[in-house]
Amino acid sequence: MASLSEEVLLVVKKVRQRKQDGTLYLMAERIAWGPEGKDRFTVSHLYADIRCQKISPDGKAKVQLQLVLHSGESTTFHFANESTALKDREAAKELLQQLLPKFKKKANKELEEKNRMLQEDPVLFQLYKDLVVSQVISAEEFWANRLGGVTNTDPAQYKYKQEVGISGAFLADIRPQTDGCNGLRYNLTADIIESIFRTYPAVKQKYNENVPHNLTEKEFWTRFFQSHYFHRDRINTGTQDIFSECAKQDEKGLKSMVVQGVKNPLVDLLSLEDKTLDEGYGVCGAQPSTSNSNRTVKESSNYAIIKRFNHHSAMVLAAGSRKGETPTDQASETSSTDGNSRDSDFFQPPVKKVKLQEEYEDLQQENRPKTVPLNLKKSDRYAHGPVPLQSQQYTTSQDIINSVNYIQHEMANYKPNLTQVLSSTVATSAISALSPGGVLMQAGAQQAINQMVPSEVQGELKHLYVAAGELLRHFWSCFPVNTPFLEEKVIKMKSNLERFQLTKLRPFQEKIQRQYLSTNVILLFSQWLRDWCW
Amino acid sequence: RDELPRLLDDGHGVLEMPSGTGKTISLLSLIVAYQRAFPLEVTKLIYCSRTVPEIEKVVEELRKLMEFYSKQTRESNNFLALALSSRRNLCIHPEVSSLRFGKEVDGKCHSLTASYIRAQHHSNPSFPVCQFYEEFDAVGRQVPLPAGIYNLDDLKDFGRRKGWCPYYLILHANIVVYSYHYLLDPKIADLVSKELAKKSVVVFDEAHNIDNVCIDSMSVNITRRTLDHCQNNVDTLHNTIHKIKETDAAKLKEEYRRLVEGLKEANVARETDVYLSNPVLPDEILQEAVPGTIRTAEHFVGFLRRFLEYLKSRLRVQHVIQESAPQFLKDIYDKVCIDRKPLRFCAERLQSLLRTLEITDIADFSAATLISNFATLVSTYSQGFTIIIEPFEDRTPTIANPVLHFSCMDPSIAIKPVFQRFQSVIITSGTLSPLDIYPRILDFHPVTMASFTMTLARTCLCPLIVGRGNDQVALSSKFETREDFAVIRNYGNLLMEMSAIVPDGIVAFFTSYVYMENIVASWYEQGILENIQRNKLIFIETQDAAETSMALEKYQEACENGRGAILLSVARGKVSEGIDFVHHFGRAVIMFGVPYVYTQSRILKARLEYLRDQFQIRENDFLTFDAMRHAAQCVGRAIRGKTDYGLMIFADKRYARADKRGKLPRWIQEHITDGSLNLTVDEAVQLSKHFLRQMAQPFRQEDQLGLSLLTLEQLESEEMLQKIAQVAHQT
Repeated sequence: MASLSEEVLLVVKKVRQRKQDGTLYLMAERIAWGPEGKDRFTVSHLYADIRCQKISPDGKAKVQLQLVLHSGESTTFHFANESTALKDREAAKELLQQLLPKFKKKANKELEEKNRMLQEDPVLFQLYKDLVVSQVISAEEFWANRLGGVTNTDPAQYKYKQEVGISGAFLADIRPQTDGCNGLRYNLTADIIESIFRTYPAVKQKYNENVPHNLTEKEFWTRFFQSHYFHRDRINTGTQDIFSECAKQDEKGLKSMVVQGVKNPLVDLLSLEDKTLDEGYGVCGAQPSTSNSNRTVKESSNYAIIKRFNHHSAMVLAAGSRKGETPTDQASETSSTDGNSRDSDFFQPPVKKVKLQEEYEDLQQENRPKTVPLNLKKSDRYAHGPVPLQSQQYTTSQDIINSVNYIQHEMANYKPNLTQVLSSTVATSAISALSPGGVLMQAGAQQAINQMVPSEVQGELKHLYVAAGELLRHFWSCFPVNTPFLEEKVIKMKSNLERFQLTKLRPFQEKIQRQYLSTNVILLFSQWLRDWCW
Repeated sequence: RDELPRLLDDGHGVLEMPSGTGKTISLLSLIVAYQRAFPLEVTKLIYCSRTVPEIEKVVEELRKLMEFYSKQTRESNNFLALALSSRRNLCIHPEVSSLRFGKEVDGKCHSLTASYIRAQHHSNPSFPVCQFYEEFDAVGRQVPLPAGIYNLDDLKDFGRRKGWCPYYLILHANIVVYSYHYLLDPKIADLVSKELAKKSVVVFDEAHNIDNVCIDSMSVNITRRTLDHCQNNVDTLHNTIHKIKETDAAKLKEEYRRLVEGLKEANVARETDVYLSNPVLPDEILQEAVPGTIRTAEHFVGFLRRFLEYLKSRLRVQHVIQESAPQFLKDIYDKVCIDRKPLRFCAERLQSLLRTLEITDIADFSAATLISNFATLVSTYSQGFTIIIEPFEDRTPTIANPVLHFSCMDPSIAIKPVFQRFQSVIITSGTLSPLDIYPRILDFHPVTMASFTMTLARTCLCPLIVGRGNDQVALSSKFETREDFAVIRNYGNLLMEMSAIVPDGIVAFFTSYVYMENIVASWYEQGILENIQRNKLIFIETQDAAETSMALEKYQEACENGRGAILLSVARGKVSEGIDFVHHFGRAVIMFGVPYVYTQSRILKARLEYLRDQFQIRENDFLTFDAMRHAAQCVGRAIRGKTDYGLMIFADKRYARADKRGKLPRWIQEHITDGSLNLTVDEAVQLSKHFLRQMAQPFRQEDQLGLSLLTLEQLESEEMLQKIAQVAHQT
């Protein structure tokens, strides 16, 4: 065997891969499979490369296990031992389940990083598609100076990526389906389980305690759905239920939340009244007693539902904000604990004051200098920027008056010189040239190009533009060419550019030409490309 | 707001102004201006509001006003304004103020500052007292508070800096802001505004519930448990008297001597011993001497015992009894020979005894205090009260739980001293419609009654009456259909549809806790709540105030972070009374049903009867009035100003009737169009979508100029003055 030094954790015989019988080995760092009778592995994956495993549904004839890699490839193993196929598969699955998370953490940081960047930045993703997937440049080249930039940027920036909250209705999304006979089927996804764990830490704790020692995962969830805990409208009676403890914990949590009281004095109903009526005073005739002894079963179950909804909403809310808040929470706690607790209401007033003082913005006098709102009559002129030449020369009003006088003077003395006029044909052609669509008015028509060209073509053009810019950046980054490596790279980049023009620009140009007569856009573009290169 | 009438000269007024339109500031600025112009006519402004945050808000407004004054006149004015509250909110004693409940704080404070405790401290310095009060008594009493505006926190701050107890800093301020319980209690009112009372102006803000407050302050309930506690108290008293007799008989003799001279004498210079007692007790008895039969301590305890036994026998009934106060007095005279006169002094006598016996923890004696207060009340007022003894609760006729309700039916009894004492009293709120009913039930003659509307640059409120479901089932919370599944389902649909289109917060009000619990349960069974949860989180008010506070805070948090939430709440509950849902905290309010009070209660029936006989107000009129003012309160929670906006959805077909609609405040009524009277859920959703889309547009200052915002030039222009005069005519 090739790697005897490795610790082999599990060996499963009679596993088929690509219609070939063989043996599956699960080792400390990788999973491998070798065909029968040969002493080498044809399939070998490091655990770190595996993204997830999938198994075939229970009812299926073939018992299979599929490994999906980060690269998107997948390998399917078919457990072919007739009698023990299921057991084998379960064993492999369980082991993998324990192993994979360990390696997940170690998994290629860079890969994850790249993945994340591509997911978060659609422009980059498009660029990646344009250049790498279409094989203009290789992935390494693409990332070569991207990742350098990544490490430079502040890591904190993406560490605090926004947490995704939990849907308030995640329990409602688990729609039970009847399976024909007297059973219910619940469909759980990883998301829902995650939501349940985040919202109810007590359940997670139970899960960690019981799975997989006492119960299988499936049993655990079956019990969960059967429990009184899930159906909180039923009154908690049995103690054999493993979730009854969770219920108690929740109760305790709710109580402690209530005891803690509220921070915002404006919503504290207890301190709202300046003076509460003592017991025995006031008209309290219609008020039903709240003690539990007097409640009927139905009433107390109703009460339980209400309590449950309050608790559920509070937990969902807390789960959504828990992660982001913990550091600040701690900070505020320490600040309040090291100061005398009596002094805490010295800190409190600012919040309270802000709430008490309702400000009307419209009654405030504006102190800052009046800003003039930007009011654009011709937004395209604003977008195109100033025209460089004439704007430099300003004419004073005296100049204008002078010139007006001068023109008036001229006009007054104007005498048509009829012998030197244009011939009528020349005049007509001049007029046609100046009217819309004419030769001299082409420039005017260009302005409307964004209306003429459909948006997908515009989008494509934009992508091409960005991609070309990226390539050029690579190209220019090689200068000055002072090492052989750079020289080589320049040559490679040049060929890349040429290939880009060949594979991307040409087809686009042709397509545009086919569809639209006005080709000046793409001409401009290729010209611009050439200008930049040389 | 320039059209506020001048009613300060003398006389009382009732004003209805929509909330958030500057009701407080306009009243304040008007009165302060008057006060500055005629310092001899109006010496003092007493501004009463309902909750602590509201009180603090008023003071903040006042602070702004004063800042403006000093900026305009360029001189510092010597106005002193302060907010007052209970010890719980003002105490700075590290131990005492850490207690959570007002009663505990009062009790603890009393145990540190009562006159005999301080006397003991004198002889034995290790005896604990409150150093803040001592400091105040030694130094602070003579030093006046520097002029300025003091909120509760400022007072505490000031107290901490000086080491004085802020609670006793109550001095002669130009403006006092406090809760109206303080004014309704004659003893406290006396303390605050001694001889200057006549020339004070009193403003009751948020006064739409003032009649209920008055009634509450004079009603007493006695259960068997109260009597048992009281029995214990009386035993303790008896034992203590015995002990004292052996050790210090002179003390009891001294008390006897004082009682002969009269209670008034006994009350002089005892400010620390006065604390906000629960029922409003008449103060005339302070002028008289205690009758001889209960002057000695033993006699009084014996007297209490007899009274207690009598009450116990009365609670052993099998059927409901209703009788008037004179009937009760006659019966008690016949059975146990207790006269009316000693009964009247019961409360004062007990207080005096507790002081003499140096009982520190007054809270322990709440049962005995309650019984003695009841004795005083029942013997003082012959009219306007009723006594109802119920042997069991209506819902559980098998469980014996006898209760004696001594309930006040006439709110004017409690508030009468206020109207008599002060030259002008202004009652104001966002929802006081119909205005004419308040003077009738409070028994006074207003000079001015007015209901103002809002001048809006855009219609920022959108009242819709949803009378039918999509399947044309009539929506109503009336008794016959409240269990109907079709109605409940349609209500659920309405909430679900709204949760999908309304941004941020929605507040829904039900008519009662029981109704809400039932509806929530059946929504849960039908899966409606799950669907709502897809759009927003759900929070529900419970009867437990602490739990509700938490739910409320979470609700606001959810609105704040953009998730959006729904608060299911109850009309007449704590939330509907004291919490505002500004801006995104309440973009829509849905009122499920008409919040009629529980009409089967005997107390209510008695009150309705009394109203009919005494004030000629028909039962139905009063019930509708009461229901509509609560509905208006609920929906009014959402709009707290002109920049705010919100939907008001009345989900009951009965709102469309003229007698209901006509009782809504004018500023809501004028926005109800004929087209929005009997909508289906779908139609309501369409209208709401349109409304919300319009409202979500940016709202700038320029849009309001000339309409709801006037520049100085505009305000002085001829045209605008005419317009204002015209508007003033209409009201």
